[in-house]
Amino acid sequence: MSEDPAPAPHDAALVARAQSGDRAAFEELVRLHADRLHAVVLRLVDDPHEAEEATQEAFLRAWRSIGRFKGDSQFFTWLYRIGVNEAHRLTSRRTRGGRTVALDEQTVQPADPRPGPAARVQQGDLRTALENAIRALDHDYRAPLVLRDIEGLSTAEAARAMGLGEAAFKSRLHRARLAVREAVRDHLPEGPDE
Amino acid sequence: MMRAMLRHPLQFMADHRFTLAHASEFLDGDLDAPQQSRVERHAHLCPKCAELLASLRGTVTALAGLRQARSRPDTDDVAGGVIARLRADDIDDDAPP
Repeated sequence: MSEDPAPAPHDAALVARAQSGDRAAFEELVRLHADRLHAVVLRLVDDPHEAEEATQEAFLRAWRSIGRFKGDSQFFTWLYRIGVNEAHRLTSRRTRGGRTVALDEQTVQPADPRPGPAARVQQGDLRTALENAIRALDHDYRAPLVLRDIEGLSTAEAARAMGLGEAAFKSRLHRARLAVREAVRDHLPEGPDE
Repeated sequence: MMRAMLRHPLQFMADHRFTLAHASEFLDGDLDAPQQSRVERHAHLCPKCAELLASLRGTVTALAGLRQARSRPDTDDVAGGVIARLRADDIDDDAPP
């Protein structure tokens, strides 16, 4: 696995202070990362109140275990891992009733119906189709897609945030992309052939 | 496509399977140089794989677009809520049993 880049200097100093018990330093880390973590968690749980709860819980856990953060990855990668786990814990509690796509069975069933005539397809349709396709993914496939393709983490960072090896992460990401592509392909703008 | 498949059918099918399995890594630049070339060469001969790569690339680009279109949190102050919760948690910890 390729290594994460060195921790951001500002984060590193704040983490060091937080590890010595300086709560003001940790609160600064909260201000730096809360919006971004919330955005990720919201994509994973879909519900704004649950996302807020999971974000708060993730920071609370991070504060309690900041002493165990070794600094061998970016602070936010470590924080994302806690947030992703928290989101997973919340969504696992729910009864899902067949909302997700069973990628393990290779039978991808896009949740979004195909559009009408191509002339009516607009950017809003693509976004709606994307959002629906992401929501239809099981957590194990949704999280790689959110972290890598929406949040823009590197493969190494995103794999680490999910506690996966890179090969397993890439496999899940590829299958998630294939499922989303299947659901939105008629909404994609025409491009030149490869 | 037919000509390439008829000339080297086993190689064509092996390259086809490789491309289907590694299309994302190809797009992310995660394959080594010979593997990247293998996918490129095959996509040139195989319209199905060319379409897969094009639509997958479009999907990844569209997903990245969601980052810019991110909606603001409901609370408008996520950090404030977290900090309030942290402080309340500290007070709870200090409270006598």
